[in-house]
Amino acid sequence: MGNLKENQAAYYPGCALLTIDRAYNNSSKLVSKKMGIELVDIPDYNCCGIGEMKSKGAVSLYLPLRNMVIAKSELGSKDLVMACSVCYHEFTRSIERAKEDKKLLDEVNYILKEADEEEYVPEGDARHILEFLYNEKGPDEAKKNTVKPLKGLKVAPYYGCLYSRPSMYTFTDKKPGMDNSERPRFMHEFLESIGADVVQYGNEVQCCGGRNVVQDEETSFALCSQTLSKAKKAGADVLVVICPKCAGALDVNQPKIVEKFGKDSELPVVYLTQLMALAFGFSEKEAQFSDMISNPLELLKQKGNFI
Amino acid sequence: MAEEHNKNSERPVAEKGEHIIARHLVDDDAIKEEKNLVIDGVDVSGRWNTFIVTRVDSEFDRSFFDEIQKTVVGSRINRCWQCGMCTASCTVTPLYRRFNPRAFIYMMQLGNLKQLKKYIDVAWRCVGCYKCSQRCPKQVNPAEMMEALALLIKRYFPEEIKSKHQLKIDEEVKAIYEGMILGHGRLDLANLHTSAMRKMGKTTELLSDKDERGAIFKMMKDGRALSVLRLGKPHKWHKSKDAIDNYLKHTGTLEQEGMI
Repeated sequence: MGNLKENQAAYYPGCALLTIDRAYNNSSKLVSKKMGIELVDIPDYNCCGIGEMKSKGAVSLYLPLRNMVIAKSELGSKDLVMACSVCYHEFTRSIERAKEDKKLLDEVNYILKEADEEEYVPEGDARHILEFLYNEKGPDEAKKNTVKPLKGLKVAPYYGCLYSRPSMYTFTDKKPGMDNSERPRFMHEFLESIGADVVQYGNEVQCCGGRNVVQDEETSFALCSQTLSKAKKAGADVLVVICPKCAGALDVNQPKIVEKFGKDSELPVVYLTQLMALAFGFSEKEAQFSDMISNPLELLKQKGNFI
Repeated sequence: MAEEHNKNSERPVAEKGEHIIARHLVDDDAIKEEKNLVIDGVDVSGRWNTFIVTRVDSEFDRSFFDEIQKTVVGSRINRCWQCGMCTASCTVTPLYRRFNPRAFIYMMQLGNLKQLKKYIDVAWRCVGCYKCSQRCPKQVNPAEMMEALALLIKRYFPEEIKSKHQLKIDEEVKAIYEGMILGHGRLDLANLHTSAMRKMGKTTELLSDKDERGAIFKMMKDGRALSVLRLGKPHKWHKSKDAIDNYLKHTGTLEQEGMI
């Protein structure tokens, strides 16, 4: 594969986005393209470790960094864009740890060599799609592309944990142009730019318990019901997420959460890029709203002429 | 007079040590409290005479400190000065009061395995939200310290893991993750979910999910549950797998634990 063109960026899809969360993947690509950047998948990607491999020493760095090496060698890109916050965390963590610890970097490069891959040189960044679109194009560009403003739609942005924490990896508050770690605002600005009303509800950066969602539903359900009911109480029509793991906990499990905690926790969940795609004039089929378990489609039909 | 008062009244006496703040961190036998006690004619029954026996930590082993510091996740254990910011900002602590990252890090610093053993049942509950690491003034990275704690437990209390139901489930689910990520290079989320549910004995829930809104049913219907079959493995992943296995076999640190 050749090097990227000027309006292209190397993109790491990740396992969730290619399967269960295809709606997030496809809408991210649609939105980016409309805003003038084409996301190009890196070939031959491997799983980032999804936070479950951290206790495996240099292996936990090897998993993300192998992808950085591929982005560089196959697409000639030092940076790599990704939409999943867990992947983003694993990448930023590995890059920072490799930068600060020479011995660890050597171990990673030893495994890379054994595995017949090219050497990793610490340069370039992993970028979350929200931060990437904000800094490369910005809300003004989103506003320009909006043909169907989401007037009257009350949205509750949910950032979750790993997009803005910990700043030792994400550099929120630390590097110019990055979001705020305790009060992130990039999603707020994008949502306002496409005409939606942003609701304040207090749980924007709380945890959904997504990491233990498989083995410890109880904890995750309790945390999710707090977020969903708080957003609902504040008047939100939808909760907007930017991470497939948050969606897994808040959207896929929502029928079970409602069963346990009642109708207060019933709130449609959508991805930011799905709403942006809708505002940019793509159809509800292209934005794949029907993939969401919490049924945002019905709400968007009721709420106005969005669909 | 006080004795007479005691005999006649039936005022409720609080449970032993009930009023101690952070009661869960103090052992039962370290609390001294007399239900009925009169000293020099003054009634000091119940909580008025509560005291905690001075604790002398003698059962520690500083060699654990080095062992933890050698791991990637535990490398900053030396920086912790026990301010408690991690516990104050923790997502899990309000739900499970005995989950206390500050105390866990202290026990790890001392190598006090006897004390740590008492918390095995909650120690695995970290949700990895990184609020502690964000707010830690010394960049200890407590969220990752909890991973080091899991390694320590795995090495020194394998029997406990086997005997506690939820811990066993946690370990088994982690093994599924590991098998997929290291074995195939990619994660099959639908398969992960169904295998984990089978491990937890929720097979009936899987089969009876006939509800139109049921997530699994829906994903089967629209083809997402099976779309992972199209993903396949990364090209020449077997080489990566061999290199990883080989590396883990020779690390010589706690990280070697729990290889499958």
